[in-house]
Order: sequence, then structure tokens, then C-alpha cells
Amino acid sequence: MSRLSAGKGLFLLGILVVVILAGLHFSADDAGELTPLESTIRDVLAPVQRVVMVVGDKVSDWVSFPARLYNVSRHNRDLEQQVVELEGKLSDYNEIRAENARLKEQLDFKTGLADQVTMESAEVVGRSADDWFGSILINKGSASGIQTDMAVVTPSGLVGRVTSVSKHTAEVLLITDPRSGVGCLVQESRAPGIVEGVAGGMRVVHMVHIPSDLAPEKGDRIVTSGFGSVFPKGIPVGTVQETHKEESGLFKMAVIKPFVDFNRLEEVLVIISANPGGA
Amino acid sequence: MQPIIFLLLVPVLLILQSTALNHIVLYGIKPDFLLILVILNGFLRGTREGAFLGFLAGVIQDMAYGGYFGLNALTKMAAGYLAGLGEGRLYRDNRVIAAGLTWVCTLGAQLLFYLLLLLVDIQVPMVTALVHIILPAAFYNALVVLIIYGFYCRFCSNSPARKGEYFNP
Repeated sequence: MSRLSAGKGLFLLGILVVVILAGLHFSADDAGELTPLESTIRDVLAPVQRVVMVVGDKVSDWVSFPARLYNVSRHNRDLEQQVVELEGKLSDYNEIRAENARLKEQLDFKTGLADQVTMESAEVVGRSADDWFGSILINKGSASGIQTDMAVVTPSGLVGRVTSVSKHTAEVLLITDPRSGVGCLVQESRAPGIVEGVAGGMRVVHMVHIPSDLAPEKGDRIVTSGFGSVFPKGIPVGTVQETHKEESGLFKMAVIKPFVDFNRLEEVLVIISANPGGA
Repeated sequence: MQPIIFLLLVPVLLILQSTALNHIVLYGIKPDFLLILVILNGFLRGTREGAFLGFLAGVIQDMAYGGYFGLNALTKMAAGYLAGLGEGRLYRDNRVIAAGLTWVCTLGAQLLFYLLLLLVDIQVPMVTALVHIILPAAFYNALVVLIIYGFYCRFCSNSPARKGEYFNP
């Protein structure tokens, strides 16, 4: 009995396999088309599937929320770190771009005056500690060939002169310092005078001892006269803002707005030697 | 504050004075932190210590920057002494009083500076000096004291200096 039953079972299994293989064979020819039964089943199940999917998503969201929160938090930290790094790079980039513009300006200036002067560029590393005097400290000294009484300029105009030198630094007396005096000319009228500094935070200098008959007008440019041996001739100093009569009544004086912004000095050029006739 | 801490602070403030403080310049004037330290020290310690440490601070400044030796030594000594007059007479726990004293002492020190400049033949018109340097500097220093006086007092109260006199010149 058992052998008969076992043979029957095997026979039925064989038929089932053959039927499935035959169905598989025939359905493979038109796999893109649904049978009416398949179509109906799909249509009925689709809304249910959708609801289950939505609910499942919600549950999954709810369950995985802390984990995602942690991931988002970590991702946020990474992004914040990236933002900080990028901001730092952007800042560096802006700084380098500004420095590049300044150096390019200096280079143009140096190239333009190359036949007349030899210059050494230096960075400003310090300023006078009090409010009375106007001086700066630069990072080049005697080791770079800098000596006292050398003129210091920027592409904008005259800065001052070197007053003391160490091996790797030099102190520059600004033209705004009350101890400073520079022989100058009014570019238009060629009227001579001396540009003196005014103490404190005033952003102007005074040009004194101007002959009364050659008094400058507002807007006239002032340049160095070249008298004496410190400042080469023709370095721009500033423009006239207003003129007054001096107390003695014999001369005029003018208030000059310097071309150089002394509060923003970062790099300067020290004139090592001047060759007015060209190299 | 112990004198040794005071003297260690002097070069630190001098470096700050010639570098970082240039970023807080207003109309060409920056606060004089060294002078403020001298004034506050004088206010809390009295005339003798105020003047002596003020003198030392000024000597260090004169040596560090060259130029006219004694200019800062004398003015800071005067400021320290002047501030020391307030010790025991003025209420030291009030920052407004400390700021007012700073204003007066800065004014006195700067006026003395102006007179000493005349001695070395540096002529600055009086009105220019007053309007563009002395008064703005006095106000700026007073403003700084108004802001930092609480920190300074806490710093000093943590220091063992208040427990006794350190020297008797």
C-alpha cells in the first residue's frame, strides 16, 4: 500500500511539474500582457498596497526617526565643518586677492620708476604706541640695504623717511608726525613750501612758508621738490584742501590731504637709491 | 596685582598697543592700555606704588621705542601718582568712579606729555593737541575702563597682592 501511494504521489508531482513548465513555456511568449485574472487581482490589490505602503513608510519613519536624527545631526556637523573650512579658504582667497592687487600696483609702480630709483618693498609690522607721534616699523633693515634718511613711498605717494634701522627692522617717520618736514612744490604753480606733520589723528598735513603771491588753490597737487638729499623730486604728497595766511602775514599756509591712507598702510617701498638721470 | 605680574603685563600691552589696537583706532586715537593699567594700579594700590610702577612701565616703554627717553616714564609716573590720590578717598567698587578717575588722570598725563614735548622743541598747537589728542584719548581710555573694570577687579582680587604691601620704596 505504501509503495502504491508513493508511486501515485510521484506521478502527480511529475504532472504538476510538467503543467508548470508548460505554463511557463507558453506565458514566456507574451510576458507583457496580463491575463484578465492577473489584471483584476492587480487592480484590487493596488489601493490596498498603497495604503500599506504609506502606513509602512510612516511607521518606518517613526521607528527610524532617532537614527535619522542622529545621522542628520552628524551630517549637519560635517556640513558645518565644511562651511567653516570653506569660509576660511574664502577668507584666505580674498586676502590673497587683495594682496595680489596691492603687489601688482607696487610692481607697476616699481616698473614705471625702475629707471629712476631702486626700491625695496617691506611690510608694516608695527606702529607708534602713543597718539602723539606718527611712525611705523617695517620688517626690513640694514640686512636689506636700508639706511637712515631713505625715503619711503607707496604707489599712492610719499609715506615718510627712515629714522632708525636695526638688522631686520626700520622705523619710518611718517610725514604726519609733527617732527617731520619735507620740501615740496605746488605742482601747478611751482610755489615752494615745507610740508609739516600735525600731531594726533588728524588726517592732514600743513604746507607752510608758501610765498603769498603763489598761494595754491583748492585741489592743487603737492609733490616733493627734491631739495635736500632725502626725498627724490616729484613724489606725490597730497592735494590742497584750503589755504590760510600765516600768523606772520608774510607767507601762506595750506592744509594738505595726503594721497596715502596712513591708517591702512600694509606694504611700503623704501627708495634705496635715486638716479634722476636714469640707469 | 603683584608687581611682577604688572611688569610682565607691560611688554604684552606694549606689543598690543603697537599692533592689534590699531584696529580699534577712532579718529586716529587708540586707547592707551598701558596708561590704563598704571592708573588702575595706582587707584587700587596708592600713590607710592602707583607712581613707582608707573615710572617702571614708562621706562620700559621708552626703552622699547627709543626716541625721547623719560617722556613716558615721567608721564606714567605722574598718572600713577595722580590715580593713587584716589585710593582711600574714592569708592573703588564703582566702575563709573574708576572711569572718571581714568579720564582725569589721562588728561593730566597727556597735558604733562604736551609740556614735555615743548621741552624737546616739538611744537603742537594747543587747540589741536586738546581737541584732537588729549580729550579724545581721555574719553576713549575712560570708556575702556568702564568696560573692563569689573574684569580687572576680579583679576586683582584673585591675586594675592591685596593681602599685603610688596615694597616700601
